[in-house]
Amino acid sequence: MLKTLYVEGATPFHRVPLRAKLILLMTASIVLFFVSSPAILAPVFLACLCLYLTLGLSWRDALGRIGWIGFAVLVLALATWFFNGLNEAIALSLRIITLVLLAAAITATATIGAFMDEITVMLMPLERRGLLNAADVGLALGLVLRFVPEIAARYDNIREAHRARGLPVRPLTLFVPLIILTLKDADTIAMAIDARGFRRQ
Amino acid sequence: MAIEFTDCTVRFGQKTALFPLTLTLGERRIGIIGLNGSGKTTFARLINGLVKPSEGRVCVNGLDTAGDAKAVLGEAGFIFQNPQHQLIMPIVAEDIAFGLKNRGLSAAEIEERTQAVLARFAVSHLAKRRVHELSGGETQLVAIASVVVTAPKILILDEPTNQLDLKNRRLVEQAIAGLEQQVLVISHDLGLVADFDRVLLFHEGRLAADGSAEETIRHYHGIAGC
Repeated sequence: MLKTLYVEGATPFHRVPLRAKLILLMTASIVLFFVSSPAILAPVFLACLCLYLTLGLSWRDALGRIGWIGFAVLVLALATWFFNGLNEAIALSLRIITLVLLAAAITATATIGAFMDEITVMLMPLERRGLLNAADVGLALGLVLRFVPEIAARYDNIREAHRARGLPVRPLTLFVPLIILTLKDADTIAMAIDARGFRRQ
Repeated sequence: MAIEFTDCTVRFGQKTALFPLTLTLGERRIGIIGLNGSGKTTFARLINGLVKPSEGRVCVNGLDTAGDAKAVLGEAGFIFQNPQHQLIMPIVAEDIAFGLKNRGLSAAEIEERTQAVLARFAVSHLAKRRVHELSGGETQLVAIASVVVTAPKILILDEPTNQLDLKNRRLVEQAIAGLEQQVLVISHDLGLVADFDRVLLFHEGRLAADGSAEETIRHYHGIAGC
């Protein structure tokens, strides 16, 4: 089943041009790694949280989109606390969650087509130097975004199939079919992209 | 307008999916029927170069599918058995526009052609809808529109009425009937191809019958034992 991370809406953040949002994310990714004071990071985190929660997502959907990062942040925070102290652990957690919230806000307010177009335009200087094919990179990144909810939905389907058959849900029996089915679909989608002549140049 | 197969064979590893085949297809409406695994889809995928012949050659309007693969893709559009696999973008209008990118068209031209094809298939109201929210018939119509918008001269449809209810089947049948291109339809739905100009029957990788719809369908009933 084909889904999208885009949330229809007319919030001020929806109206911000995608290029500006991507530049904002890139700048924030660099700047925040030079900031280690939780007193500065906390307000930035709260601002991004407010932004994310005002995009028209339900609480459940809002949490579901970023919840997966929670475990990784927790592990990193614990390790940082152990090696570098509590202050550093709090700063690291705030930094990562802030960037994830900002990235999630951008993907919720831009369609995949807009992403592909923008990335293709931004990479044209590199294409002119013969370093890459901008449309291919745009397509690849667009497909990554398109696949995220698809893989999540398939994961749920396989887990439900286990339950329906009374089988225990184990990583091996869950991830092996997930990977195989994903690769199989990827193959078919690649064929469809060729059939539709997208990569004609 | 002609599709020519010359001593064309397809092998996947040790398995021969299509035995040597020589024929020319010039009719406007051609049906392709046969049991599951008989070689129908392999045959159809040869036409737009998605499958390359192991031996022999396939030419579409004079273009070799092996040597002029990209040009052939522009000549022959393919509508997959599962239209969900074909719809790359999550919003209907975005998906229709997807096939027009990389063709040197302006954004305004892409928008104009997208709206025109949506109107042609009476699905303009679906433009902003998410693809996963469409019914089976709507998905199939959008898949056909997404290929027709690129103006191919030949259209190949792989089981276009598969799993559709009667109402949606009618909608898709009407859409196919209105296509001006040369159309090749693979189908288990014998009613769909019953009035076609020519019907091919495949069996175990070989062309078992080739002629009028009535004769070929009769032959098919014999092979299927019913």
